[in-house]
Amino acid sequence: MIYLDYAAATPVSRKVLAAMEPYFTDEFFNPSAAYLPAKKVAAEYEVAKGVIAHAIGAKSNDLVITGGATEANNLAFTALGAEPYPCHEGAAPGILYLETEHDSVRAVAEKYGGEAIKVLPNGVIDLADLKAKITDETRLISVSLANNELGTIQPLAEIGALVKNVRIGRLKRGIKTPIYLHSDASQALNLLDINVARLGVDMLTLNAAKIYGPKGVGALYVSHDVKLTPISVGGGQEQGLRSGTENVPGVIGFATAIHETKEHLNGNRKKYANYKRILLSELKDYELVNKKHSLDNFVVLCYNGIDAERLIYLLEERGVYVATGAACAASKGKKSHVLAAIGLTDSQIAGSLRLTLGETNDEEQVHEAAKIINQVVQDEKRRTKNE
Amino acid sequence: MSSQTVFVGMSGGVDSSVSALLLKEQGYKVIGVYMKNWSRDLPGMKCPWAEDLADAKRVAVKLGVDFEVWDFEEAYRDKVVEYMLAEFKKGNTPNPDIMCNQEIKFKLFYEKAMERGADFIATGHYARVLDGQLARAIDENKDQTYFLYRISEEALAHTIFPIGEMTKPEVKKLAEKKGLHNAYKKESMGVCFVGEVGMKDFLKEYIDIQPGEIREIESEKVLGYHEGAVFYTIGQRHGLYLSGVAGETNDGMPYYVVKKNLEKNIVYVSKNLNNENIWTKELVLKDVLLRTNLKKEILVRLRHRAPLIPAKFDGKKLIFESEIKRPASGQSAVLYDGEICLGGGIIV
Repeated sequence: MIYLDYAAATPVSRKVLAAMEPYFTDEFFNPSAAYLPAKKVAAEYEVAKGVIAHAIGAKSNDLVITGGATEANNLAFTALGAEPYPCHEGAAPGILYLETEHDSVRAVAEKYGGEAIKVLPNGVIDLADLKAKITDETRLISVSLANNELGTIQPLAEIGALVKNVRIGRLKRGIKTPIYLHSDASQALNLLDINVARLGVDMLTLNAAKIYGPKGVGALYVSHDVKLTPISVGGGQEQGLRSGTENVPGVIGFATAIHETKEHLNGNRKKYANYKRILLSELKDYELVNKKHSLDNFVVLCYNGIDAERLIYLLEERGVYVATGAACAASKGKKSHVLAAIGLTDSQIAGSLRLTLGETNDEEQVHEAAKIINQVVQDEKRRTKNE
Repeated sequence: MSSQTVFVGMSGGVDSSVSALLLKEQGYKVIGVYMKNWSRDLPGMKCPWAEDLADAKRVAVKLGVDFEVWDFEEAYRDKVVEYMLAEFKKGNTPNPDIMCNQEIKFKLFYEKAMERGADFIATGHYARVLDGQLARAIDENKDQTYFLYRISEEALAHTIFPIGEMTKPEVKKLAEKKGLHNAYKKESMGVCFVGEVGMKDFLKEYIDIQPGEIREIESEKVLGYHEGAVFYTIGQRHGLYLSGVAGETNDGMPYYVVKKNLEKNIVYVSKNLNNENIWTKELVLKDVLLRTNLKKEILVRLRHRAPLIPAKFDGKKLIFESEIKRPASGQSAVLYDGEICLGGGIIV
């Protein structure tokens, strides 16, 4: 098997699994319980949260652990006020989001009448469009740190500085409306060195599942200025923002994974950049979609005139697993809004393949993958020509 | 010599997959088509269309044939779903599969395929064509002519049923041997186009519930309450909320729905299997469609896979030799002469 879909899911690393294991069995206690063994678990949970927070330059108390990135993104939008957000007719919703955001941001933003910010043909935010769309009503801006289909890295620090200036400008004019910057960093966590202060974000979404941690565990970093409203209430865990017994093994796994990731950050980036180079030189007859400003492990190819979904099934037979931006089961028949946003035609979108590299890949696999993809593309071209 | 072109309706199931495979092996130029008839998710019911489409396409790619998605959602909603809802509201129990074959698969799909230069269309139905006539499949257990009796002669003349001569186990075995991933895919149950959901749950999305009484027909006694008479079918014995009559009724005998009063929204039930409403020797049919000359002595099928019952038919009224359990109005009675499907009609 050659797995080239790390943006979709990563395997839990052995080390992470080993760290989690005791918390399913021997250390199973509810952190809220009164006896000492439970208090020990509670303390270890806090330490683990501290590790996760530290990795992004924050403190344990700034994090709300969630059941994944989707929940964290949904929670971030409660900064606008309790549900239902008062979106009465004629009121400016005050939400701006990047048009290439993941559905977990897009769907919430659209639900509350948010306005999309354009990207440039290279996938990077159109800062002029952002500036033009910020008004005195704007209260939340959501821009992911790295896009999940293209790997495009957004200039968050620049956006952060811009938001800071808007804030100062409002204060100067006596306007009380707050403005927050949220960023979904799920895809970027294992390839970029992230620091919330440097990025200037007020909220940041993290995801264990993309960094060799367990699925169903995420976190929202929230700065002290932001007032969130819990989506679920109950026992008041996570500073009252997310009730429910703590997922101790999940958070221990998350902390182990993020620690590992941080340690190997530079080595991994070099490794993936090298694999990417190999792929781009050995693959044939493609156009590279994500030319610049992209994470090192993302290779998005376009085979114009070919149905990439067919390639997926042909590659699957040869043991190579990749993704597509084309209409497929995974996207419920919808074409990729991301590829459309950067100006690809329907035919180019249909011919797009996304390869994302990760831990289990080695150089030999990358050579082999290039060979198999070339063959399959040739076969498919021959088939369509013969008909 | 250029080979003949067949457009195959591929649903993602094993039957239509093997149909495409056989045609390809027989040398036809095959184009697989997924008919997108319904894609709406209802609350708590995930429509399986995207997975089915992926299954169909995966097989087409494996066979190395072209594959397309044809969108019939609008027509399906108008011709099948609307018809179905209207019939239920009238108190009938329509069969959406028969309508789908008549209006979509063997009409719109057929017409579009012909426009695209097809010599034939094909589907994964268990049925045969003998001397130009619709005939029952070899696999008596799987025969689907009950659903096909209303398709047009013109479409039938250009239709291939590649698996009509095979049994279901043979189809599965061949699929496995040829490495088709869906060889043992679970067959869809419930309302075909919505996935694993019962008709009542589906109807509730479109028809408001209207609480009413369930009465015993003999005594007029209220035995319980229901959510709307339209949701119940004559002969039904599950999903009845009977209460308050323990001891009196708790003799282990089930109650059957024997009558509905739509105006008063009352569902009548009975334990008496001899109730006159349950049994009949005659059935009147409407919208009769005869595919061929009528014979005096015929065989009748009143449900998919139900046994064939001997009867006489005068073009309107079916007369049985002995009493049969009365099917719900809106269902179809399909007529046979030996293996040949003569046509049928809708039970009044």
